Amino acid sequence: MKARQILIDFMKNHAISYIAGILILFGTTFLAMLIPKLLGIITDDLNNKDSTQSSIVHNVLLMMAIVIAVFILKFLWRYFLIGNCRSIECYLRDHLFKHMQTLPLSFYSNSRTGDLVAYAINDVQAVRMTFGFGSIQILDGSTLAIISIIFMVQTISPVLTIMALAPVPIAIFIMVNVGRHIRGRFRKVQEAFASISEKVQENISGIRVIKAFAQEKEEVDNFLKYSQRRVDTQMSLTRISALLGPCAQLCFGVSFLLFIVYGSKLVIEGTITLGDYVAFNTYMLAIMGPVTNISRIIDVWQRGLASYRRLATIFDSPPASGLTSEDCSVCDIKGRLEIKNLNFTYPGAKRRALKNINLTLEQGRTLGIIGKTGSGKTTLINLLLRLYDIDNGQIYIDGTDINDIPVDILRECIGYVPQDNFLFSTTIRQNIEFFKSIYTEDEIEEAARLSGVYDNIASFPEGFDTVIGERGTTLSGGQKQRISIARAIIKNPSILILDDSLSAVDTKTEVEILGNIRKLLDDRTGIIISHRISTIMQADEILFMSGGRIVERGSHEQLMGLKGLYYELYKAQNVPASEEVAI
Amino acid sequence: MSDGVNGKMSSSVTRDEFTIEKKKFQFFRLLSYFKPYMLIVLLSLFLAVLVNGAVLAKPYIIKQVIDGYIVKDDYNFKVMFLMGVLYLLAVLLSVGCGYLQTYLLTYVGQKIMYNIRNSLFEHIQNMSMTFFDKNSSGRILTRVTNDVEALNDLFSGVMVDIFKNIIMIIGIIVVMFALDTEMALASISCIPVIAGIMIIYRMAARKNFIRMKGMLAKINGFLAENISGMKLVQVFHREKEKYKELTDLDGEFFKCSLREVILNSFSRPLVDIINNATIAAVILFCMGRLLHGNLEIGVLFAFITYIKQFFDPISDLSEKYTTIQSAIISSERVFEILDTVNVQEDMDNGIQTGKLKGEIEFIHVWFAYNDEDWVLKDVSFKIMPGEVAAFVGATGSGKSTIISLMARFYDIQKGQILIDGTDIREYNLKELRRQISVVLQEVFLFAGDIRSNIRLNNKEISDQDIEYAAQYVKADGFIQSLPKSYSEEVKERGCTFSAGQKQLLSFARAVAFQPSILVLDEATASIDTETEMAIQEAMTKISSGRTSIIIAHRLSTIRNADKIMVIHKGRLRESGDHNQLMQLGGLYSRLYRIQLEKSAVVSAG
Repeated sequence: MKARQILIDFMKNHAISYIAGILILFGTTFLAMLIPKLLGIITDDLNNKDSTQSSIVHNVLLMMAIVIAVFILKFLWRYFLIGNCRSIECYLRDHLFKHMQTLPLSFYSNSRTGDLVAYAINDVQAVRMTFGFGSIQILDGSTLAIISIIFMVQTISPVLTIMALAPVPIAIFIMVNVGRHIRGRFRKVQEAFASISEKVQENISGIRVIKAFAQEKEEVDNFLKYSQRRVDTQMSLTRISALLGPCAQLCFGVSFLLFIVYGSKLVIEGTITLGDYVAFNTYMLAIMGPVTNISRIIDVWQRGLASYRRLATIFDSPPASGLTSEDCSVCDIKGRLEIKNLNFTYPGAKRRALKNINLTLEQGRTLGIIGKTGSGKTTLINLLLRLYDIDNGQIYIDGTDINDIPVDILRECIGYVPQDNFLFSTTIRQNIEFFKSIYTEDEIEEAARLSGVYDNIASFPEGFDTVIGERGTTLSGGQKQRISIARAIIKNPSILILDDSLSAVDTKTEVEILGNIRKLLDDRTGIIISHRISTIMQADEILFMSGGRIVERGSHEQLMGLKGLYYELYKAQNVPASEEVAI
Repeated sequence: MSDGVNGKMSSSVTRDEFTIEKKKFQFFRLLSYFKPYMLIVLLSLFLAVLVNGAVLAKPYIIKQVIDGYIVKDDYNFKVMFLMGVLYLLAVLLSVGCGYLQTYLLTYVGQKIMYNIRNSLFEHIQNMSMTFFDKNSSGRILTRVTNDVEALNDLFSGVMVDIFKNIIMIIGIIVVMFALDTEMALASISCIPVIAGIMIIYRMAARKNFIRMKGMLAKINGFLAENISGMKLVQVFHREKEKYKELTDLDGEFFKCSLREVILNSFSRPLVDIINNATIAAVILFCMGRLLHGNLEIGVLFAFITYIKQFFDPISDLSEKYTTIQSAIISSERVFEILDTVNVQEDMDNGIQTGKLKGEIEFIHVWFAYNDEDWVLKDVSFKIMPGEVAAFVGATGSGKSTIISLMARFYDIQKGQILIDGTDIREYNLKELRRQISVVLQEVFLFAGDIRSNIRLNNKEISDQDIEYAAQYVKADGFIQSLPKSYSEEVKERGCTFSAGQKQLLSFARAVAFQPSILVLDEATASIDTETEMAIQEAMTKISSGRTSIIIAHRLSTIRNADKIMVIHKGRLRESGDHNQLMQLGGLYSRLYRIQLEKSAVVSAG
C-alpha cells in the first residue's frame, strides 16, 4: 500500500471527526472574536454617562456566556483534530512496520537499522506534527486573522485597518526568509551534536584499544574540538534565531504607532467610538500571534514533507513476492531437494554469486558445504529460504518448483540456524518457542537438551524464564548459538539448515552437539555449512565451494582421495594431527 | 536547542528526606558553575528588568492616549505622533534588551556545558576497565550527550527566566496598585486560581509525559530489535505475532498521547475563562465609579490588558519547575560519574619503565572481577625475555583475563605481578601500556584513514614507520590495492574490510608502537583458511625478538611456543613445551586428541 493511500484511508475513516472538528473550529474562532467587539461595546457604555447598569451587566453576562461556549467548543475541536493526528502517528507506524515485515532481505541489506527505527519514530512523529501543529495552526491562524480583519473592516474602519496592517506583510516576509537561514544553522547544530555522539560512542567501543595504547590524553584533546563546535554552531544559530521574534514585534510596533496616530484622530473626529478603538487594539494583538508563528509552521511543514518522502520510499519498496497459504501450520514437505543449473546474481550486483549449481539431495540425507567467506554458501541457503527471488526451474523441493510452494509453508518446514546468533531480549523460553506458545514444557526442554544448552539454562536462577540481552543476563557466543539451534529443532522441521552455527562453541561441546544433530538428521534432510572440515566431514555429500561454483564434491573419503582443494584445506587445518598420526 | 536532541526524562523521583536534602545540595552545586560568568548573569538580570519595564509601559501609553486626549476630544497630531513613537521606542527597548539577554545567556549556558562535557569526558577516559564493564556504552553515551544537554536549559534560561517572570508579576501588581487600589485587589484575586490550575495541570501532565516517554522508549527498543532480527522473523514467519506486539505497544502509547491532548485542551482554555471572568468581575466592580465619572476609562483598558498578561509568567514559572527537576535528575547522573573517583586510573605518577626487557612473572595471583568470584586462583608462572608463551584453555577458563592483568586493566586482589622484577603497580601506567601492545580478538578501527588507525594519535610514529610496519606484517599488499592506499578512509568501524584485513591492520598497529611485550589474542571469528595462514605467518614474524604471549584457540598455532600453559577453571594446570605436555598425558594431550580423533577417523578409513 502506498503512503498517500494510507493517509487518505485514514482521513476517510475519520471523515466525520475531521469535518466536525473543522466546523467547530470555525465557529469557535468566530465566537472568540466576538469578545473584543463586545468589550468595545461595554467600554462605550461605560464611557457614556447615560447608559444603564443593567445593560452593561447584561453585556458582561453575554460575554461570559460566549467565553464558556468558546471553552467547550475549543475543547471539542482540539479533541477531534489533535486526537486524530495522535492516532495517525500510531496508525502510520503500525502500517509502516507491517509493510517492513513484507520487505525482502535485499531491502535490509541496503539500509541501516538505526535509520529504519528513526523513520518509524521520528519521521512518523514529524508527519504527525505536520498534520497536527502544522495544519491546525494554519487553519486556526488564518481563520482568526480573516475573521479579525472582517470585524475590523466591517465594524470599525477599513482605512484604519489597511494603515495598521500595512507593516504586517513585511513581518511575514522577514519570518519566511530568516526562517530559511535558521533551518540551515539548526542543521549544523544537530550535526555538531551528532558528531559528539559518534565520537563518544566510538571512544567507548574502542576503549580497550585506547587504554592498551595509552591514548587517553590524545582522545580528550580530540574531543575538545567536537565540544567547541557544538558551542560555535549554537551561538551562530542563536545570533539569528533570536532575531525572529524582535523583527515581528518591531513591525507590529510600527502598526501600533500608526494606530495611535490615526486611530485616535478617528475617535476624536467621532468616526469611530472609543469602544471600537479598544477592540481594534485587541484585534491587532490577536493577529500578531499567528504571524509570529509563521516560521515555525513552515519549519514543521518542511520537516514533515521531508519525513513523508522518506516514508513514502519505504512504502513504495515492493514486498517480497511469493505465494502464501491460508493454513501454514501444516508442513507437508518431505525434504527431497533438487537444484538444476542454478545461477544467481544479487540485485544491483555485477558478478554472479552462484554459478551453475547442480545438486540432488534425497530425503533424509545430509549435505555439507565448505568454502571461503564469499564463496556462495550462505547465498545458497538464502535462496532455499526464498529470501531472494529466483526464476522458475532452478530449485525443486519434493519435485515442486520452489516458486510454487507457499513461502510460509516452505519456511515452516525448514529449521534454520543462522550465522549470526541473533536472540531477542526476552526470556529464553520465548526465544526458543519464538513468540508462539505452541510447545509443551517437555518439548522446550528436549530442544535445549539436544542443542547442549540445557545445563547452562538450568543453572540460571530463573531457568527458562531468564531474560537475556541488554536488560538481562548476558550469554556467551556459544550459548547464544546453542539457543539458536534449539529454536530451529523445536520446530521439528523436515529440513534442518545450520549455517556455520558452531563456530563459537568449544571443540568438546561441538562434538557433543554434532552427535545429537546427527541423530536428529537420521530421518530428515540436513544442510551443514562450516569453515571447519571437522564439522562437516561426516555428511553424506560434501560440496567444496569457491567463487560461487561447486569445485569439488563427494564424500569425505572421496574428496580426500581427490587430493585437491579439499585435501589441501584439510591438511592446513590439521597439520599437527596428521603429523601426530605419522609418529 | 530543540526538544529533538535532549528530550530525556527520568521517572525516578523519590521523596524521602535524604534525597530532598541531596537535591538541594545538587542544586547549589549546579549554581556554582555560574561563578565565572557572574558578571554576564548580573547584566542579564538587569536587562530582564528593562524588558519588563518596556512591556509594562506599552498598555500604559495607550491608557494615556485614551484618558489624556481621546476622552477629552483633544487631538494634536504632534502629541499623538510622539505617543506613537514612544510606543515604538518601548517595543524597541524590549526587543533590543531581550535579544542581548538571550544571546548572553546562550553563551553562558554553552560555555558551562562545554566545561561540564569536557571534564566528564576526561573523567570517563581515565576510568578503569571495571567502570566500562559495569556501565553499558549506551548509558555512558547518554551521560555525555543528552544529560549534559538537559543541563543547558537550566543554565541558559531557566534561572533568569524565573527572575524575569517574578519581576513581571510583581511589576504588573505594582502598576495596578499605582493605577487603582480597589481594582488591583479585584484583579489579583485571579492569580491563586490560575496558579492552582497550572500546578494541577503540570503535575498531571508530567506524570503522563513520563509514561509517554517510557512507552516511546519501549517502541523504539522493539523496532530496533525487530528490524535487526527481521530475517529471523520472516524465516520463522512470526510476522503476525510481532505485528500484534507492536500494535499493543502503540495502543498503549496512544492512550497516553490522547490523555495529553485532553489535558492540554483543558488547561489553556480554562485559564482563558478565568482571565475573562476576572475582567468581567473588574468591569462590574468599577462600573458604578466609571458611570459617575470617578474613574478614567483608560484605566479599565490598562487593567484588562494587564490581567491578560498575568497568564504568561505564571504558566512559564510552572513550566520551569519541571525543567529544573529534569535538569537536576540529569545532573545527578552526571555528578554520579564525576564523583566516582575510586576507579580512576593514575596516568601520571609511577616510575618510568624505559625500554623493558620483557620478563613477566606472576606470583600466587588471585583475581576476581566481582567480590570473591575468583577468575584466577593462585596462578604463578615466569616468562623469560624474548620467549613465546602460549595460554590454552576452554572459553571462560581465565586466559584472556591474564593479558588484561599484565597491562594492568585490572588490579589483582592477592599476589604480585612483576615485569622486569618490579611490581607493575609501581610503574607509570601510561608507559607500561605503551610497552605492551595488545592485539585483541575483535579488531577495533576508528573513523579516520588507514594511517591514523595504525598510528592512533601517536605523533612519534612517522609515515615511514607506518608503511614499514604494514610491510612487515604483510598488510602492505591489500593497503596498496585500495584506491587511496594509506589515506583510504575507514568507514563505519571498518566494515568495508574483511575480518582478516582488519586483523592485519591491528598487527601493523602493534608493530608500529614497537612494544617490548606483544600480546596476541587469537581470533576465533570465521576467517577463511587462506587468510588465516597469512595471519599465522604475520604472527610468527612479529613475535620474534620480543616477549610474546599468545592466547590460542587452535592448538596448531602454538606448537612451537617456548612455553605452553594450560589454564583450567582459573588455575594453571600444566606448563611446558608441546612435547613435554604431550608426554605428561594430561589436559593438553586430551584436548589435542579431540582434534586428532577427527582425522583418525579418516586415517582409519
